[in-house]
Amino acid sequence: MRLKYSIKTAVKSLRTNRNRSFLTILGIVIGITAIMMVMSLGKGAQDLILNQIASIGSKTIAIVPGRHPTGISDSMSTFTDSLKNKDVEDLQKKSNVPHLARIMPIVFGPVVSTRGNKVHQTTVFGVNNFFAEIYNIYPEDGRLFTDEEVSSKSSVVIIGSKVKDELFEPGETVLGQKIRVKNQTLRIIGVLPNKGQFSFISFDDALIVPYTTAQQYIFGIKYFNRLVIETDTEANIAATVIDIETTLRNNHNITDPEKDDFFVETQAQAMDMVSTITNALTLFLAAVAAISLVVGGVGIMNIMLVSVTERTREIGLRKAVGATNRSILIQFLLESVILTSVGGIIGIALGTGLSFLISLILSKFVGLNWAFTFPLMAVFLGLGVSGAVGLVFGIYPARQAAMKSPMEALRYE
Amino acid sequence: MALIEIKKLSKIYGEGDNETRALLNTDLVIERGDFVAVMGPSGSGKSTLLHILGFLDDYSFGQYLFDGKEVGKYLPDEVARLRNQKFGFVFQAFNLLPRTSVLENVKMPLVYSDVPEREWDNLARRAIEAVGLTHRAEHEPSQLSGGEKQRAAIARALVNNPEVIFADEPTGNLDSKSGKAVMDIIWRLNTEQKKTVILITHETYTAEHARRIIRLLDGEVESDQLVSNRRGEGDFEK
Repeated sequence: MRLKYSIKTAVKSLRTNRNRSFLTILGIVIGITAIMMVMSLGKGAQDLILNQIASIGSKTIAIVPGRHPTGISDSMSTFTDSLKNKDVEDLQKKSNVPHLARIMPIVFGPVVSTRGNKVHQTTVFGVNNFFAEIYNIYPEDGRLFTDEEVSSKSSVVIIGSKVKDELFEPGETVLGQKIRVKNQTLRIIGVLPNKGQFSFISFDDALIVPYTTAQQYIFGIKYFNRLVIETDTEANIAATVIDIETTLRNNHNITDPEKDDFFVETQAQAMDMVSTITNALTLFLAAVAAISLVVGGVGIMNIMLVSVTERTREIGLRKAVGATNRSILIQFLLESVILTSVGGIIGIALGTGLSFLISLILSKFVGLNWAFTFPLMAVFLGLGVSGAVGLVFGIYPARQAAMKSPMEALRYE
Repeated sequence: MALIEIKKLSKIYGEGDNETRALLNTDLVIERGDFVAVMGPSGSGKSTLLHILGFLDDYSFGQYLFDGKEVGKYLPDEVARLRNQKFGFVFQAFNLLPRTSVLENVKMPLVYSDVPEREWDNLARRAIEAVGLTHRAEHEPSQLSGGEKQRAAIARALVNNPEVIFADEPTGNLDSKSGKAVMDIIWRLNTEQKKTVILITHETYTAEHARRIIRLLDGEVESDQLVSNRRGEGDFEK
């Protein structure tokens, strides 16, 4: 039996029952479409988040206070107040951390802001002037702090777009106005642009104040919730992490790294974590979509069994003129594999088209920075899986066909 | 050495009370180039005999030597190969593939042969020409008359140039004019091309084209006689 001829015969037989063939592969089409969309959109979502993390700068390192409790009795000593002013000073010394380019202490917490009779629950971020560069967000109205305002604990604030909407009427003058937070009066010097709710890091609903002001007048604390450090070059991140750990352990009199009262997180770690999570999620969704392939496969098996019964006489005849069991098996197997592969190809085209459409809608109408990714991996996966479904679910009907006795098959009415 | 030789051949279906003896201790020798008609009432075992001789069915007891070799000793793929190269089958119900042209139907045995694909068309067209259907080569079976269908089926049986033609009531579904055309072709295959023909029929005037008539009754050979005044080409009067 020649392969080219066999394929032609199989295609012809499938075309003879065009409608039935189409309905049969619908299950496969839907399954592959779903897998394509999950993989393409999953990759898109991952890229979106990773890009946002990357936009903070790959040279950034975050220091977070505290440590994981080692047991129940240890749960009280998580050292959330371990990062102090002295740490910032020591980290800034060239002799301690030579590759440190800049450092930004962060203090944050929930607050209630009021203006006249308007009340709005929001978050205060106490930062310094590196804030705008590190997070790549600049006031659309007004200005940033001056260094002098930071060092002198000035009562100035840059407000997020949502805070502005909550506390001000449309068209009202905002700059220079005063709002109250925990009995402190803060003067508005800037308004941040609206970045949209889908942003991974959002300052839309936030009050940005000098960290000194936040520490003394708003929260009344002497420690920091976080330190953000930028290195001079990306290549020096690993070395800088070690320098930071050495300096902080020195300051905190820690000899055993197990007892660190701080964590050092790099951008790469955060990205790794996000990638791991989104990959797992994509895989899980694809696996759910794959269930429809099993359902589709059973449909293929069913219709192939019908086809084998219908064509019993043809099988008998082919055997009478010299077909071996193997060539009958291959003929029917080819039909089911071609059937599912065609379903796979349609599914790939449909899935890619729909993913592209959704990407377009997300980027054009929802305003996300969403890029369409053509999932080449998913294409091969889709082709492979659909072919395999044809093979697995086609083998039983094809065997039934191959095992028929030619005489009984010829007698079949 | 005889082409076909069966010794004490039996075919039994079912078990116990349902046991059916389709063939019982049958002995038969068919030489190369012979033309044998097998007759008998329905249920006499003539179809079973033809199926066993044509390797389409197996037998329960006894011996079947084809070309001197015990058939039970052939491997399944060798059996398929012999069916492909040595045998041509013509059935009462034609068994042409629907929605498939005469040309493609006739090609089918070539698909399972060693003949290179580029020669298929040529061989199939020659076989179609031999049965006088050249003008119908591109037609589908549904567009053909009964006689034309059977001629197409004969072309399919001939395309691999087989040694033996098995014809199972080839004229059974045909009017007498078409039956005559079909019998003429079969007659010429035997006399001109020296092909062995084994023909099942229940019409005496069809059987009399053969050199020899074997009558079966209840699975046993009732008589085996040479035809004294054999009918020639074109003689299909009842």
